[in-house]
Amino acid sequence: MTQVQLRSISKRFGGFTAIENIDLDIRSGELVALLGPSGCGKTTTLRMIAGLENPTTGEIHFDDRDVSDLRVQDRNVGMVFQRYALFPHMTVEKNIAFGLSVRGTPRSEISDRLDEIIDVVQLGPFRQRFPAQLSGGQMQRVAIARTLITKPSVLMMDEPLANLDTKLRGEMRRFIRTLQQRLGITTIFVTHDQVEAMELADRIAVIFNGHLAQFGPPEDLYRQPVSVDVADFMGASNIFPGTMTGTDAVKTGFGTLSVVAQPGMADGSRVHAMLRNEGIDIHPANVEGGDDMVAGRIAARDFFGATVNYVVECGAERIIVNEQSRRLLDVGMEVRLDIPAERVWLMAG
Amino acid sequence: MRRERLFLALQMTPIMVVLFLLFGGALVLAIVQSLGYAPWFGVNTFPDLSYFRALWSSPSFWQSLGLTMYYATVSTFLALVGGILLALALIKTFPGKTLYKYLYKLPLMIPYTVGIALAVLMLGNGGVLSRFAALFGLIDDPGQFPQILKTHYGWGIIAVYVWKQLPFITLAIYAVLLGIGRETEEAAAILGAKRRTIFFRVTLPQILPGIVSSTLICFAFNVGAFEAPFILGGGFPDTLPVVAWRYFNDADYTLQLQGMATVVSIGLIAGVILFGYLAAYRRFEKRMGRN
Ligand SMILES: Nc1ncnc2c1ncn2[C@@H]1O[C@H](COP(=O)(O)OP(=O)(O)OP(=O)(O)O)[C@@H](O)[C@H]1O
Ligand SMILES: [Mg+2]
Repeated sequence: MTQVQLRSISKRFGGFTAIENIDLDIRSGELVALLGPSGCGKTTTLRMIAGLENPTTGEIHFDDRDVSDLRVQDRNVGMVFQRYALFPHMTVEKNIAFGLSVRGTPRSEISDRLDEIIDVVQLGPFRQRFPAQLSGGQMQRVAIARTLITKPSVLMMDEPLANLDTKLRGEMRRFIRTLQQRLGITTIFVTHDQVEAMELADRIAVIFNGHLAQFGPPEDLYRQPVSVDVADFMGASNIFPGTMTGTDAVKTGFGTLSVVAQPGMADGSRVHAMLRNEGIDIHPANVEGGDDMVAGRIAARDFFGATVNYVVECGAERIIVNEQSRRLLDVGMEVRLDIPAERVWLMAG
Repeated sequence: MRRERLFLALQMTPIMVVLFLLFGGALVLAIVQSLGYAPWFGVNTFPDLSYFRALWSSPSFWQSLGLTMYYATVSTFLALVGGILLALALIKTFPGKTLYKYLYKLPLMIPYTVGIALAVLMLGNGGVLSRFAALFGLIDDPGQFPQILKTHYGWGIIAVYVWKQLPFITLAIYAVLLGIGRETEEAAAILGAKRRTIFFRVTLPQILPGIVSSTLICFAFNVGAFEAPFILGGGFPDTLPVVAWRYFNDADYTLQLQGMATVVSIGLIAGVILFGYLAAYRRFEKRMGRN
């Protein structure tokens, strides 16, 4: 159980700044996802925590101990690489036992711990195989077992699910989550898939261009993103520019919405309003309702089985509404949208 | 199916004919000559093992064989160690890397004979090194410079082989290193392995294909090489290719057949060694689960 702190970490490669002044405080036993687009610096961040790369400035602390001068070998971290990095010339068993064997662990202990971990990752039938003879999911479990057997104090995984097919990915996600909770090991998990991050992580750190854009629990990032970029990356589709009228209403391209006052959003300021797809109630136009409803017309319908998306044209804008598909409304239908003030989130700009 | 094969065989006929005439034909000719068939010299005692018998029963043949193997093995080994170290260094980033990457390949483009001339100029008594040594007072006179060329330790010959082949081996291993990337080494470091352990347990097994193929080529070349031992060697005993040359060059042209027996012997011995080496490597590959 180790707490990991990045204090004002920057990393430059020559003239290129890969990481700019990141502060990150990861609690012991927590699972944190680093989320961001390709090239934003996720791998670089992991590599600095592991000691494979030195920060240009700043300090990294494990439990209040500065590890900046600690060699890779002495940090007692674990890392599952993006492409696994298994030793191709060793069997599954030898791969997994490597970390113990180079530390001079007695043979009998290695064999006991090997049996134990192979049981956990369910690789029993493959002990004598070589990496080239394994499937992607099996290789990944070898990589995880190889890392866990040394009982690292911090576990890092660099997009471990990227190379797996959808079904296996779901299985491995549950597997990783269960394992992490059972062992209570501080885990940092890199992904560029926001659904994966939300499903797995206790907290998510969103990184753009080497900057930490937001760090918080999944629901915060989803409901209260600090910027349009974060909202966009978290999959928000209804983001509309507007102007504050007073502190509790915003004028948009499809009418004025009442909102809950947010700090910093003064009368007349330019803002973006985010409406979550599932936070909007849609009613046929003939149903009685309040006057503050937004009128529109269903322009398109996407049916997903359990849920359905409507694209509703309201004035100049298109609003996407998601609801349970217990009933279905038809394309072309006149509707009214009920958008409660507490479901509108405002962002600066 | 049969027709396709036949068609394929027909298509390959021209190249096979050329290959056979160039290599196979010459090989067959060498073998039959070494067995006593050379009517153009007025010799025809085929099949006759006496040339091999004479060769193999003379102690000087075994001395020459020993010397040939010594030069070939030591220089291949030195070039390999140097090549591995250089390739490992080149894979890292350091200032001026681009320049070094061109510089180390220079000997590859310079012919052996030029290398031999350089060795004479640099390493000989009265050569550049000896003069510098004298200039800096390490020795009183250039003539006191230790004998490097024309001795049976053959440092001059080995120096030329290594000078030429180290870049070649470096190139081969560097390419393999680039292919395997740094990640397995980094994974090993994170798992707690020290640098030595990483090299012997992670890097070395992975660059083995490059090591085997490049040393194979160098060793085979060194066994058959002629110029360096001829020019820089110490006289009797000579390496086998030089021995063969002496037979070929003899006024008594019936000794040609003795020369052929020598050449065929070199081929046989080198073949057996290389085959054994490859077989051992195949076994290792199989054990690693590669096919
Ligand atoms: N050794 C290096 N030298 C120079 N630039 C580098 C180096 N390593 C990374 N970079 C640059 O730093 C930036 C961040 O790289 P990083 O690998 O951390 O991205 P990432 O977020 O992991 O991306 P991806 O999702 O594609 O894996 C990239 O622009 C990359 O080109
Ligand atoms: Mg990456």
